[in-house]
Amino acid sequence: MGRLSLRQIPYQNPILVGTFVFALILGAAIVGLVTYHKRWGVLWREWLTTVDHKKIGVMYCLIGLVMLFRGFIDALMIRTQQAIAVGPHSPGYLGALHGYLTPFHAGQIFTAHGLIMVVFAATPLLVGLMNIIVPLQIGARDMAYPYLNALGLWLTAAGAALVMVSLFIGNFAHGGWYGFVPYFELPYSPGVGVDYWLWAFQLSVLGTTLGSINLIATIVKMRAPGMTWMRMPIFTWASLSANLIALTTFPVLMVCLALLASDRYFGTHFYTAGMGGNLMLYNDLFWVWGHPEVYFLILPAFGMMSEIVPTFSEKTLFGYATMVIASFAIGGVSWGVWLHHFFTMAAAPSVNSFYSVTTMLVGIPTGVKVFNWIFTMYRGRVRFELPMMWAVLSLFLLLVGGLTGMMNAFATNDYMWHNGVFVVAHFHLMVLLIAASIFGSVEYWFPKVFGFKLEARWGKAFFWCIVLGTGWVFIPMFLLGFAGMTRRLDYIPYTQWGPYLRVMLVGMGFYILAVAFFFMHLYVSLRDRAKNRVGADAWGTSRSLEWMTHSPVPAYNFAFVPQVHARDEWAWRKEQGVADLKSGPYRDIHMPGNTGVPFVLGALALALAFALTWRIWWLSGLALALCVAVVIVRAFAEDTDTVISAQDVERAERRYHDGEVVPMEEPMGRPTPRPAT
Amino acid sequence: MSASHHDPLSHPEVQLASGRGYVANFLVTTLLMGFGLWLSVTHAVAPLTLVAVTSGIAAVAVGVQAYLLLHMNLSEAQIWHTVAMILFLPLFVVTIGLTAWMFHGLYARTMIMSPHIGAFLHR
Ligand code: HEM
Ligand SMILES: [Cu+2]
Repeated sequence: MGRLSLRQIPYQNPILVGTFVFALILGAAIVGLVTYHKRWGVLWREWLTTVDHKKIGVMYCLIGLVMLFRGFIDALMIRTQQAIAVGPHSPGYLGALHGYLTPFHAGQIFTAHGLIMVVFAATPLLVGLMNIIVPLQIGARDMAYPYLNALGLWLTAAGAALVMVSLFIGNFAHGGWYGFVPYFELPYSPGVGVDYWLWAFQLSVLGTTLGSINLIATIVKMRAPGMTWMRMPIFTWASLSANLIALTTFPVLMVCLALLASDRYFGTHFYTAGMGGNLMLYNDLFWVWGHPEVYFLILPAFGMMSEIVPTFSEKTLFGYATMVIASFAIGGVSWGVWLHHFFTMAAAPSVNSFYSVTTMLVGIPTGVKVFNWIFTMYRGRVRFELPMMWAVLSLFLLLVGGLTGMMNAFATNDYMWHNGVFVVAHFHLMVLLIAASIFGSVEYWFPKVFGFKLEARWGKAFFWCIVLGTGWVFIPMFLLGFAGMTRRLDYIPYTQWGPYLRVMLVGMGFYILAVAFFFMHLYVSLRDRAKNRVGADAWGTSRSLEWMTHSPVPAYNFAFVPQVHARDEWAWRKEQGVADLKSGPYRDIHMPGNTGVPFVLGALALALAFALTWRIWWLSGLALALCVAVVIVRAFAEDTDTVISAQDVERAERRYHDGEVVPMEEPMGRPTPRPAT
Repeated sequence: MSASHHDPLSHPEVQLASGRGYVANFLVTTLLMGFGLWLSVTHAVAPLTLVAVTSGIAAVAVGVQAYLLLHMNLSEAQIWHTVAMILFLPLFVVTIGLTAWMFHGLYARTMIMSPHIGAFLHR
């Protein structure tokens, strides 16, 4: 069994045992509910084997939400530890000298927090939303490669699962989410923690790269007739730019991590100190991906704001063309700024100056976007419904986060506070901006996907608690940054920092309330869904193509592939009074067929990654061989698509027109009759 | 949306497929990469020559794959491969160039061993 043995189960740690019991109860409850309602068949047929971009998107979002919750618990532990472990006289519990987390445990927590929030929470949520919305916005029936889409999902799921497994078997890396060499080399980190980190990261890289290929191909090749480039909704443009970044930079990370793996597993010395290795190469390769990655995250968020703001200002977006250019300018500049993450590595002054300037250049297109949103609101009929509230919050967070980013961009400043909590506060505002846009667009597009709006009362309470929590946590953090506090401390040597750290706990209290309100928000919305039913155009003032089709969206998206006439097609149709026109009789619709292969491949990838982590060679070999075999077998499959017959389409359309709710998981379509050969 | 939608075999990119080409591609690129690996593990040539030679080998391998595997050309079906490749080139140059520029100044300022010395010590 390689390095795996029963001693690797951390049953001495009460926190982990508690978590395990919680996970067990939750898992049992889910299994019980599914069994009780006899839903296993539906779960398998309509969800786990689906290739429908909307369902895949929903599952991406669910993974993102679960991991967001896990990452939040990590954050809670870091904040409480730092509030307790202040000064030499602070108490210690659970075997820790100060606070209740040993340095080893605290290290695992901040490492997992960072990795989870960036690649297993924010990324799946954004990829999920792009998956759902982009094909609808361009009038496509599905993604260009539906099968690949499902594969990306299940690889991401495998990565997330691997991080979760590390809680209960063995341990996780404890040196920070982006890794350090030579510290992450085998002699200095001999445990399995770094291997868990490495393979989980690698799985998500693979999943995201596949997803980016798919979204790019979809946007380039699958647009409805008349959907010219300059008629594409801004969210689609932003997704294109973001995924171009992903496609060009994720492979760099894959190589970066593969070289580290090669050092750890084959004893090569790419990153060793000495022996011809070069430890600075790791930083370089990592951030060649790392900085573009943050723009990969923020561009879709900008796209979401650009959809929400016009809808709730009842105006067309100000400066469409500049918005497109700005999205691509941000994408373009993002390839040339990465060194600002290691200004202090002692590159020549000319090099640091170059990167200072390129980093500041990002401010220009970003500023253009900000003014465009403001001018969209200016003299609009602004309605502060939930999506709009989140979009405005995003705008404020962008201002503070962007300006502090500018402060970091001066290499001279950065020399003083690099690896301090000022930087941490900067990027948290940026990432919270992304989270805020995500929550805004979940509110915004939820009725499109599920056919009813989320209620507003608990939703507003949730919103305001996030606002308060953010202020109470991050304003003190900026102040501590100025005071010189470094990041990732498990023990606070200066007692004068204590009060600030305790004030942050107030903020964490608000965040906890926010989580509770979020669950209430979901629960009440689900309970009262009949009351909050909406038709196709949920908000009444929306403008783009996705609002043209029914809510919830039928499996085939559009009964007729729409002909696009204008930039804001749906707004155009409403103005022209042609919103209800139908064209011709219904036709058979050719759709991709469901398949369990991506799910199986995801499971095998998880087995492979787990086996590599624990160095169980027979299992690694077996899982890899099975992966290859499954791919080959699948290559010979002939029944890969289905046809939804014209009658089925007509029946479904009639039900929609009668105001009936057609549930998302209702099966549609049947295997294509084999063509006579 | 065209007729080829229903008969996968008539897709232009499927028409381009060639088992012989794929096998040839596999053999040639494996040989090239194996040769590069052999050069670097045996330290058969001086470090700077090694960098030049392995880069050359990589370039040839890319060319072979572009031709035999990806069938890059300017036809309507294949042009996206070609465009993607060309768009990628400036990015490649910028990334490698900026990295080289940084390391150029870095070796003079840090105690890190230059690849030169490191390789000699190892030998
Ligand atoms: C106007 C735009 C921005 C500027 C000028 C900027 C500048 C910087 C600089 C100079 C650093 C390095 C500080 C240091 O390590 O000492 C940094 C770190 C960081 N920034 Fe930004 N940034 C910007 C936007 C963003 C965005 C949009 C995001 C995320 C979506 C982001 C996320 C991060 C992260 C995650 C780190 C730290 C990573 C780590 O060390 O763990 N930044 N930023
Ligand atoms: Cu950056």
